[in-house]
Amino acid sequence: MIVAAIVLVVLVTVLIGARGVAAIRSTSDFLVASRRISPALNAAAVSGEYLSAASFLGVAGLVLKDGIGALWYGVGFTAGYIAMLALVAAPMRRTGALTVPDFAEARLGSAGLRRLSGVVVLVIATLYLVPQFKAAGLVLTVVSGTPYWVGVVVAGAAVSITLALGGMRAATYVQAFQFGLKLLLFIVPAIWLVLQVGADTRREALAPVEFTRFERPSPVEFRLDVELTVTEPTPVTVSGRPPEVLAPGRYGASAGSTWTFAEGAAVPEVAGSLPPGGADWARPLLNPDGAGHPMLATMSLLVATVLGTMGLPHILVRFHTSSDGRGARRTAAITVALLSVFYLFPGVYGALGAVLLPELYLAGGTDTVVVALPARVDSGWLGTLFTALLSAGAFAAFLATSLGLLLALSGAVSHDLLPGVTVRRLRLTTLGAAVFMVALALPAAHLDVGALVTSGFAVAASTFCPLLVLGIWWARLTAQGAVVGMLVGLVSSAGVIGASFFVTAPPGLAAILLGQPALWSVPLAFVTMVLVSLRGRPPAWASAAMLRLHLDETEHSHRR
Amino acid sequence: MTRQRRVAVTSPQTRLAMARHRTGARMQLPHLAPADLERARRIHRAQLRAALGAVALLAVLIIGLPVLLAAFPGLDGVRVAGVPVSWLALGVLPYPALVLLARWQLRRAERAERPRELP
Repeated sequence: MIVAAIVLVVLVTVLIGARGVAAIRSTSDFLVASRRISPALNAAAVSGEYLSAASFLGVAGLVLKDGIGALWYGVGFTAGYIAMLALVAAPMRRTGALTVPDFAEARLGSAGLRRLSGVVVLVIATLYLVPQFKAAGLVLTVVSGTPYWVGVVVAGAAVSITLALGGMRAATYVQAFQFGLKLLLFIVPAIWLVLQVGADTRREALAPVEFTRFERPSPVEFRLDVELTVTEPTPVTVSGRPPEVLAPGRYGASAGSTWTFAEGAAVPEVAGSLPPGGADWARPLLNPDGAGHPMLATMSLLVATVLGTMGLPHILVRFHTSSDGRGARRTAAITVALLSVFYLFPGVYGALGAVLLPELYLAGGTDTVVVALPARVDSGWLGTLFTALLSAGAFAAFLATSLGLLLALSGAVSHDLLPGVTVRRLRLTTLGAAVFMVALALPAAHLDVGALVTSGFAVAASTFCPLLVLGIWWARLTAQGAVVGMLVGLVSSAGVIGASFFVTAPPGLAAILLGQPALWSVPLAFVTMVLVSLRGRPPAWASAAMLRLHLDETEHSHRR
Repeated sequence: MTRQRRVAVTSPQTRLAMARHRTGARMQLPHLAPADLERARRIHRAQLRAALGAVALLAVLIIGLPVLLAAFPGLDGVRVAGVPVSWLALGVLPYPALVLLARWQLRRAERAERPRELP
């Protein structure tokens, strides 16, 4: 039934895409359809494209893993559209540029800057896509019990088939439908869960106690290799072995094994993770892995998400379907309201998960908490039904975002980086990119979906945010300043995040500043861009190139 | 039904890129008429003021709230309808504030675009 629900989501998506195209009479209808789309519909489409598997599964998973402070993710993801509204939406629409590389060339007239921007699109899209494939693979693993790699490959196949059939291609109302679907599939199960769990569990969820003892015999399915530290003699049954009592010490749990802990047994410790429910867990500041400096970690996350939203390639394209600059601005404002509704709910799943499924933190499976909760609450058909609904929603989230990102990525490769362009090559690039993402997602099983997506935001905030903000508001920006500033931003965000996969920084301040570099990399990129620009001279037309972005189209006497 | 010429339908991005490669021309230099230039300068200043105001308010909200929550850990213990106040301050409160801020900024940005003569 769960697999059927996921297949249904894919089919409905493809069908709406196909029917929508068939319903349009002529090519010119198709080409100008975008001009008539109202801000409200477009905002639903923006939200549909934006709410990814990271929002659907990742935020609740991070609440379970890192504590209530992870709710800052939702605040940052929403607040990004205020920055978009105030700084970027209307002028960006007026350039007629669909992507940041287009904008770079239109505003600064530099082909080199266009190519550099194309590379940055590539980096952001990759950082954003890998966790989507990971989440999709994980959902399939949880609902069908297959190994992780099967899930990732099936997810890749689903994306490729949807692309090949032409579903969802740039169709605004498909994305708007996806938003409605995701909102419904996220909110209804949340309300059902809250009503179903009973007053005692609700009270426990609001006043959590630290997860130190198993309250019931708990099977823990390890999906990854995890090292556990046992602090007192602990009775446990490892799958395929007779029951035993573990002496204090370190044990390795291998991926695929199931450890069933007896009732009352002490919960082993996992290096680098806080048990859910403790006093630190309940603090409303982000404190990943108990590294300390919660204020810095929270600020860094907020800088990355708020300033990174305006640089997301799949979102910027959506704003082009607004009729004019004013419509784009209204779209951004309505998007804030739509996202606000959605982000009220990840906390519900996280708080319930901390009471009902705290053992997920042992198994490194916190990203599955949303889809695992219904079965824990109701073992009958209702639980299965809601698991199916949530899996379908998560898969819809995965599809919507990945398709948008894959199109943006292949667009950057074939339009900005390679000379010449053919539709056929664009198609091949898209399929190639999907295969590449599957290959990258296979070894990424242990990475947090929400955290990895935030790296994508950090890169966008350190590169495209200064380019867009200064390009739109400051006439003295030069192409040279933009190139140097973007390079500095790219190295200090993507470079540092990439290095942190290979070099483990000592926990504490350094780990936060290297793992979440936005707090310093964004100001650094801004300052570099300004200083290098001040040393050069903008061309004579620079002032007109900037000012025309602020002219309302209806009054424009020189139409393009 | 009249016969129509068949056209390959592509995404706007592809269309732009293909047009760019076909003409091979670089973009025309941007140019504004003097009257437009004057109005554009005025709107740019007004919009910049509005945008900076909105960004400043946003910063106050999302920097102020964590600072407040860090400074008053006692809020974790205060409960409204069973929910800790600090959880509400993080999980619920920011959203209506953000919606109001978006509305406010939208109004001001649209007002700045209106010609000065009109009220």
